[in-house]
Amino acid sequence: MRIIARLDVKPPYVVKPVHYEGLRKIGKPKELALKYYRQGADEIIYIDIVSSLYQREILLDEIKEASEDIFVPFGVGGGVESIDDFSKLFHYGADKVIINTNAIKNTNIIDEASKIFGSQAVVVSIQAKKWDKNFECYTDCGRIPSGKDVIEWVNEIQDRGAGEIILSSIDCDGRQRGFELELIDKVINNSKVPIIVGSGAGNLEHILEVTKLKPDGIAIASMLHYDKTTITEIREYLIKNGVEL
Amino acid sequence: MKVGVLNYKIAGNIHSIKKALLTVGANIVEINSESDFKNIDKLIIPGVGSFSDAISEIELIREVLIENIKSKPTLGICLGMQILSKIGFEFGKTDGLGLINAEVKAIECDGSIPHMGFNSIEIVKNSPLFNGVDENSKFYFMHSYEVVNYTDILSLTTYSNHKFVSSIEKENIFGVQFHPEKSRKDGLKIFKNFLKL
Repeated sequence: MRIIARLDVKPPYVVKPVHYEGLRKIGKPKELALKYYRQGADEIIYIDIVSSLYQREILLDEIKEASEDIFVPFGVGGGVESIDDFSKLFHYGADKVIINTNAIKNTNIIDEASKIFGSQAVVVSIQAKKWDKNFECYTDCGRIPSGKDVIEWVNEIQDRGAGEIILSSIDCDGRQRGFELELIDKVINNSKVPIIVGSGAGNLEHILEVTKLKPDGIAIASMLHYDKTTITEIREYLIKNGVEL
Repeated sequence: MKVGVLNYKIAGNIHSIKKALLTVGANIVEINSESDFKNIDKLIIPGVGSFSDAISEIELIREVLIENIKSKPTLGICLGMQILSKIGFEFGKTDGLGLINAEVKAIECDGSIPHMGFNSIEIVKNSPLFNGVDENSKFYFMHSYEVVNYTDILSLTTYSNHKFVSSIEKENIFGVQFHPEKSRKDGLKIFKNFLKL
C-alpha cells in the first residue's frame, strides 16, 4: 500500500481547500514536495486546482521546479485537455498524468493517451458526491455535477485503458473527519486497476480504518500540511498495526 | 564517458531518467537520430507506451540500435527491457529486438493491474548492477506486462503471489522491470553501478 502526499496547487502556492472551497495557503510546492519525499512518501501528487476551473494554461515551469529533486513518481493533473498536454507534462517532470474534467467531456482521450503513453501513466481522478443512495462524478474542481454515476464511470474508464484511479469525496475533503468508506468500498469492489483513496484523513486511526478496505494507495494532504503527522509516523503506525506496506 | 539515452518522439517522457542520471554525474547524450549513436559509450533504453508503439517508433534506427546494444553496456528500463525480447503480446503480436530469449506477456494474477508501487527484489545471481544494493531495498514498479525468460534472470519479484522476472543480465545487456529513476537512493545506486561498468 502506497502512502502518497497530495499537493493541491494554486500557483505559486500549495493550498488546502475545505470542501473544495475556502483556500488556505500552505507553502511552496517545491519545498513541500521535497519535505514529503524526504519523509518517505511513495509518490507525490501535484494538482493545479484552478487551471481547469479558470480554463487557463497549465503552468509548466512550476511543475518542473517542484519535481526537480524528487526520486519517486510524480503525478500531475489539473487542466489537462489534450494529448499534447500529456506530452508537455511528461517533458516537464510528470511520471503520470491525472485527468478529471476533460476525461468526462472527451472520454476518448483516455483511450488515446493510454495507447500512446501506456496505461500506467494515465490516471483518472474522480470527485464524488453522494446523491441519494448513489455517488455522482463532479468536474471543475468539485463544482459541476456531470450526471455520471461513479461506478458506471469506474467501469468505463478501466475499459478505455486508465491505469489508476484517484478517488476523492467532495463531502469529506478537507474536513479531517474520516474517509467516505461506503464510496471507497464500492469502487474498490468494482475495479481491477489500482485505487488511490483520498479525502478525510484527520488522524492515524482514520488511515488505519481505510486500509481495511485494501486500497492500493492513500493520499494525504491536510494532516501533512498542518504538521499533524509525518509520512514516517504514518508508516510506523500502520506497520505496528499489522498493515502490509 | 557518455551515456546515450534513447528518445522516443511522441511519448518522450525521458525527463525523469535524465534527471536521475545527471544527479549521479553522468554525461548524457539524447539519441534522436542515427548519428547520435556515434560518440556514446553506454546506452540506456527507457520505456514509454506500448510494446508495438515503441517498436514502430524505433523502426528507422533498428539496425544501428541493435548493433549498439550488442557492443556497449546497455540498460533497458521497464518497456525498454521488454523490447529486447523476441516477441511482445501487447496490442497484438509484435517482433521485438530479439536480443534476449524471452517473450512479453500480460501479468496474470489476482492483484490490481497495473502492478504499481514499491516492491522488493530477490537477487538470484551476483551482478555488478546490484553492487552495494541492500537486500531489503525496494524499487518502484509500474507495468501490466512482464518478461517471461528462463535463461538470463538476475532477480525475481513477487506480486500478489505471482513471481516474475524483475531484472535480467546477458553479457553486456541489462534490463530492469522497475524504475531506478523513481526508486529513491536505491535506484540512483543502480545508475551509479551502471556508470562504473
